[in-house]
Amino acid sequence: MRDAIPAPGGYAGASEKAPRRSVFRLVRHLWRKSSIAGLAVYALALGGALGLASADWATRGGYPFGGVQIGAWTAWPRASAANADPYTRAVNARRGEIPLAVGEGLLLTASADDSGQALDATCTYRIGGGTPPARAWTITVAGRGPREPGRAILREGFTSTEVLRSTDGRFAILLAPDVQPGNWLPSPRASGPVRLALRLYDTPAAASVGSLDRTSVPAITRLGCAS
Amino acid sequence: MRIVSLRFVYATLIGLVLAGIVHIAAVLAIPILSEKDAVSRARTSESLDHPQPIYTVATGDDPSPPEAWLPIPDPAVAVGVCAYDLADGPMRVSARTGALSLSLAAHARRGAFYAVTDQAAVRGALDLVILTRAQYDEALADDDENDPSRDVRIVAPDTRGFVVVRVIAGLPSQRPAANAAIQAVSCTTDSATDDAPTGKDAAGKGGGR
Repeated sequence: MRDAIPAPGGYAGASEKAPRRSVFRLVRHLWRKSSIAGLAVYALALGGALGLASADWATRGGYPFGGVQIGAWTAWPRASAANADPYTRAVNARRGEIPLAVGEGLLLTASADDSGQALDATCTYRIGGGTPPARAWTITVAGRGPREPGRAILREGFTSTEVLRSTDGRFAILLAPDVQPGNWLPSPRASGPVRLALRLYDTPAAASVGSLDRTSVPAITRLGCAS
Repeated sequence: MRIVSLRFVYATLIGLVLAGIVHIAAVLAIPILSEKDAVSRARTSESLDHPQPIYTVATGDDPSPPEAWLPIPDPAVAVGVCAYDLADGPMRVSARTGALSLSLAAHARRGAFYAVTDQAAVRGALDLVILTRAQYDEALADDDENDPSRDVRIVAPDTRGFVVVRVIAGLPSQRPAANAAIQAVSCTTDSATDDAPTGKDAAGKGGGR
């Protein structure tokens, strides 16, 4: 888990030896002068700084808890529920996110392929198979952080209506930096990690995520990397 | 020296316990204090009688406008919000079903408390009324037995919140229609029923309808 929380303002974090020793000596001097008050200030400062920093870190970015792992995908059925965990609610509040409610749909995200390697923009992936029953679905790709300026957005995703399917109703999307035949999903950036999102709309699966297994979600297979 | 370092260890332990308390308090306080959360941001749409578009899907060469504040929006789904303040009266959301699938979800500060899709529509119309417990009891008491209301009545946990409207454009050619379908939903504050004691106030507020 994430346990490497930096202690802001903590003198243990100083890298050089000499300043650390001088700070230590100063602190020791302060203790001798006003030991109880100094220690109380130290404890309060440590508690405040560490508590606020860790709360900020835990609610920045994605949801820390509440995901259900299904193959390479993680489903977030409780993201907007009224009884969601406090971290999820804090993340939603900080980002202004309006997650899909259980009656509306289900969000699944993937940041790694089926073998567990992180998705990279320079690689080619095949995203194929079927989806859980849903009235409509979309598969979208995004890089982390803001969009690269000046890069034309050719396509960000496929919907269930527009995707090309084989005769058995299954589909295969190719996420690749270069043009591909069939369902080509261009990599959103030149390099770096990317994330896939599968949104199922009006799906019974939202209420019973436990019934989904890795055969019911699209498989993400790495075909090769340009590097 | 030993006493000093022991004291230092105690102070550090107290500091860590305090850090835990501060951490929990901060995480619990963020949704309450946040000014960037969806309920606060949606408040600007309170005076409108149709949803405020917060994510319009890109059509043709027009990219999505920058006012979209959803962090990772679905590029094929148009989203609009209607904020409500039940202190002004119950909120009525009326949608007509069309070719595109539409869903409505009612959110309060704690999260979504109701969601419905256009498959639940009766004769092509979906009427949602969001009210407080007191307004719900009043509406029940005022119901005409011979002409029962077909509204879907939902009791909100909070007086403030918003209804989010999502319309899915399955094909790029349906995107202008999806943006229009968001605007076609009506969100009005129901004035109290005509024969209620607040009838005069309701008539005065008639401009909001």
